[in-house]
Amino acid sequence: MIELRSTLAGRVTLAVLSTLILLFLALPIVVIVVTSFGKDAFGSFPPDSWTLSWYTQLFADGSKWPAALSLSALVAAMTTVFSLILGMTAATALVRSELPLRSAVYGLVLAPLVIPQVVIALGLFLLFEPAAMLGSPIAIALGHTVLASPIAVMILMATLKGIDERLEDAAASMGAGRLTVWRRITFPLAMPGMVAAGIFSFITSFDEFFISQFLSSVDTVTLPVQVFNVLQYNVDPSVTAVSAILIAVAVVALALVGVVRRLSGSGKQGGLLPTETAVGLPAGSETTS
Amino acid sequence: MTMAGSVLAPNPAPAAAPSPAPRKQRTGRALSDRRTRFGLLNATPVVVYLLILFIYPIFSTLMLSLKGEDGAFTLHWYTDAFRGANLEILLTTLRISAETSLLALGIGFLLASAISRLKPLWAGLAMIVVVVPHFISALVRTYGWIILLGDNGVVNNVLTDLHFPGAPFQLLYNEIGVVIGTTAVMLPYTVLLLYAVMKGIDRRLLAAAASMGAGRITIFRRVYVPLVAPGLVNAGVLSFILCLGYYLTPALMGGEKQTMVASLIDEQVMKQNQWNGASALGIILLLLTFAGLLLLKLLKSAGEALRNRGTAS
Repeated sequence: MIELRSTLAGRVTLAVLSTLILLFLALPIVVIVVTSFGKDAFGSFPPDSWTLSWYTQLFADGSKWPAALSLSALVAAMTTVFSLILGMTAATALVRSELPLRSAVYGLVLAPLVIPQVVIALGLFLLFEPAAMLGSPIAIALGHTVLASPIAVMILMATLKGIDERLEDAAASMGAGRLTVWRRITFPLAMPGMVAAGIFSFITSFDEFFISQFLSSVDTVTLPVQVFNVLQYNVDPSVTAVSAILIAVAVVALALVGVVRRLSGSGKQGGLLPTETAVGLPAGSETTS
Repeated sequence: MTMAGSVLAPNPAPAAAPSPAPRKQRTGRALSDRRTRFGLLNATPVVVYLLILFIYPIFSTLMLSLKGEDGAFTLHWYTDAFRGANLEILLTTLRISAETSLLALGIGFLLASAISRLKPLWAGLAMIVVVVPHFISALVRTYGWIILLGDNGVVNNVLTDLHFPGAPFQLLYNEIGVVIGTTAVMLPYTVLLLYAVMKGIDRRLLAAAASMGAGRITIFRRVYVPLVAPGLVNAGVLSFILCLGYYLTPALMGGEKQTMVASLIDEQVMKQNQWNGASALGIILLLLTFAGLLLLKLLKSAGEALRNRGTAS
């Protein structure tokens, strides 16, 4: 292939600069993981001596962390279920049918991604406050689903587009009903996409801060809200360990998506990562209308 | 990762021609009726859900922002928002968003163009370093920056050891801290958006320009930048919009002077029980977001018009 050759100096400069930028992205994460094992939580870096005590302290008596962790897990699990149901039906409607006002529906579905989260959180607060539902895990999960379902829809749309529709038609032509086609053909083929959509819905909810902050009450506090409160108001060195756990959860989730992708034969099933395919704004005006 | 996944759609929305290849006309009618009903049935859950939990709440926010204490229509929450300390906070928000999105755009451009020239293996590894942080909670990454930028943090220690003049610096609880932290959060977006555009560029065009005697700077300015321009506009406007409503990093890494609109809304709702004022601020944020999206749309169609004229002549 004909290539424009770059000068050595230019290449070295670019390499050094991009390494620095990659460090800029990775360093905050690395520093947390390393510090969480250091004896002196706010001391020098790298730490002089090592310990696991920040992790054991998390589960000591009187610690607030286990409650926050289990609430976050519960909310994330509910969000996953909600957004998979909404995502699968919406993706089916958008990919596999003739939908009137299709672009309006598509715009509505993706709109929560570009609308400022403060606005969504404030609106949900105004909705749930009069209903006395503040602090209810269901309310928080319903709120998180607004953010998680667009991601699920995008992943599942890509999945459905990757499934040969003729397989479904063939099954239908041999007398299989809609439900049978779905259960025996579409569902197994869409499984990797559904796993990916589920995982991303889960971590979207698990890491979500702003909606939780508005919808939580004094005794129901999700993990990110608890982390934020500690960072802002009081110093609790075990927050480093919690942060490291949050990092581990995200990394494991991404690795799982990677494994599912590998198992399902990469290439055939594109778009399991919501970010990897061509990226673009879903036609601006649709969200405004 | 509160903002994860935002605006990263698999494909630009195909506005028209959603249905597969045109069917035979006669049977097509009956079939399409059935497909339409099936579509409506499946679209209902998500549409109803979003109407109740997304559109209606925003609508009630709008109504609340227009209601005075006595329940009558008023605009005074908006005039309040544009006065005194509140106006300053609005301007701060715009300033920090501009600084951050420009920085994220510049750094993202450098990194994306470097990655787009790497061999697939290395490009893949570099993209992992970009994508993984994107899916890690922004709260956690902000905490990482707080550790890094403290008076005795890694950054200041390294600078002091290198006898950098002026070190140690105050890097936290001021605008430098906020801009560094927020840029780190926005960077994955700009890199991903720009990388997608850059990968699609036919590098032979650059070689062709060189073969015609264009210098490096000319090639960059006249060929490369115009080709990347749509991505630059997209990434710049989007990161600006995302910054506008951003809360976490400015709240944790900023001082008094870095209060952004989202923090003000939070304070008005949580501490002052001032819902009307908060609603007005929320609607202002919303309108600014719409303005950004509209700008994007206009620039896009302007760019297309320009390109069409270029090919026609």
